[in-house]
Amino acid sequence: MSSLRSAFVSLSVMLLGAACASAADQTPPPSAAPAAAAVKPDSRSPGERLYARHCLPCHQSDGYGVPDMQPAITGGSWVKGDPKALALFVMTGGFGSAQRKDSANGNVMPEFRPLPDADLAEILTYIRAKFGGGGSPVSAADVTAARADLPK
Amino acid sequence: MRTTTFVRVVSLSLAMAVAGVTDVAIAADNDGLTLPPGFTATVVQEGLGAGRHLVIAPDGDIYLASRNGLVAMRDKDHDGKVDETVPFGDVQGTEVRLYKGWLYVSDDVGVYRYALKKGELAPKSAKETVVAGFPKERQHADKTFALDPKGTLYVNVGAPSNSCQEKDRQEGSMGQNPCPLLEKYGGVWVFDGNKVNQTPANGRRFATGMRNSVAIEYNEAQHALFAVIHGRDSIDTLFPALYNAQDNATRQAEEFHQINDGGDYGWPYAFFDTKLGKRVIAPEYGGDTNKEPPAGKYPNPLVAYPAHWAPNDLLFYSGKSFPAQYQGGAFIAFHGSWNRAPEPQAGYKVVFQPMKDGKPSGDYQVFADGFAGDMPDNNPRNARYRPVGLAVAPDGSLYVADSQKGRIWRISYQKP
Repeated sequence: MSSLRSAFVSLSVMLLGAACASAADQTPPPSAAPAAAAVKPDSRSPGERLYARHCLPCHQSDGYGVPDMQPAITGGSWVKGDPKALALFVMTGGFGSAQRKDSANGNVMPEFRPLPDADLAEILTYIRAKFGGGGSPVSAADVTAARADLPK
Repeated sequence: MRTTTFVRVVSLSLAMAVAGVTDVAIAADNDGLTLPPGFTATVVQEGLGAGRHLVIAPDGDIYLASRNGLVAMRDKDHDGKVDETVPFGDVQGTEVRLYKGWLYVSDDVGVYRYALKKGELAPKSAKETVVAGFPKERQHADKTFALDPKGTLYVNVGAPSNSCQEKDRQEGSMGQNPCPLLEKYGGVWVFDGNKVNQTPANGRRFATGMRNSVAIEYNEAQHALFAVIHGRDSIDTLFPALYNAQDNATRQAEEFHQINDGGDYGWPYAFFDTKLGKRVIAPEYGGDTNKEPPAGKYPNPLVAYPAHWAPNDLLFYSGKSFPAQYQGGAFIAFHGSWNRAPEPQAGYKVVFQPMKDGKPSGDYQVFADGFAGDMPDNNPRNARYRPVGLAVAPDGSLYVADSQKGRIWRISYQKP
């Protein structure tokens, strides 16, 4: 009985593979993305690349987030406001959103304080330009200055 | 089969081209949904907001749970469209079920019921609390539930965490061991659904290691509980040395299980990797992408569905009007991914899982697709529709509810 069951599980897994292949119109085969990347040089700015790595999986490529899951960056007050306040917001994970259970539904934001100042500056510059209505660039020195105000 | 569909579509196109109707109108024939041959989708309700689960009463009345509250609907002239819509009650949530003349509903913190009199569309009775007092949480909070014929109430208590890290969703943060959340969350708790005014303390933990099981259903023919469990997010951003974005988009299964008393399904310590076809230790708990938990510690899924598809409802087909292959099989509504980005999002479909005697009897089949449309910017917020709720009507047709606009479709079958 149990060997029959495990045989079935492996069958299901094999069939799953087949089903994924047949759904290729939706999901490119695993080889597609790296191959394309190898042929085409990455033309993205450092800020866009870092955004894709650290922020995009939750806030999405358009910065609008996902309803009920992650809030929008686009159109929000933080991205349009004071760069130092924005740097603090990002480094503290939205000022400790993980601890706030009374706010709207959705996932917590991690703290980005471990990132180097230069990387944070690139990300903030990118999101202010793209999602903040063309805000001014943020320098690594701005982030360094903001870091001094982080809670210990 | 595919050829048949193609021929049908072409002949229909020709007929409509003659009549001066565009291809858009043909797509609108099933409201843009694609279905197997013989099936037709019609719009029962255009949209009432953020729909969740729904149930159809023996007299055909429709009850929808939504983020905006509960709604009762009736098709008075039997033309297939709802023409009486009555909001009722004060519960904003996901689950709604009928049990012995009661309408059971839930929100993030409790399960409630309304007595439903025969012939009554919206219940006029006062709300009774079956169980309340679950802690208010921000994630995986919907208290979806199932009821068995005796009234045993099985409540999904999702874990308010991705993977029980010391710091939730923080890169490199390790898992708490043992995970303290499992004492109150991350499993199924049972209550007596016939009793009122219970608290979580009156419940018994029935099964554990379940991150979030929005899709939960009691199978009366098999006398067993089943669930499709949401797998974990973000293996790449949390552990970039071990996994890349493509791994995260494709490897962590959405797991279909029979849920047994005392069962442990592995969260947060392990997850089922669809690429390797086996359960592996989560990186938060010392996983190296290949290390396995002790043999037999956690059951393998009956079926491993693709990562992040978001199974949000499960229904065993008990109707009579669909072909024989559907009898006893399962429909699963996949709400669609967000955590596949920057890879293409996926899911957003209703899947049929053939089953025999409570076990999968073949590969799953995409039953209804085309909900999401083009979905600009690869962002779920731009999906046209997202299937989230399933119900069978007395005539055997399948109803599907959507969370983007609250649209409801009726899918019926006529032998082609």
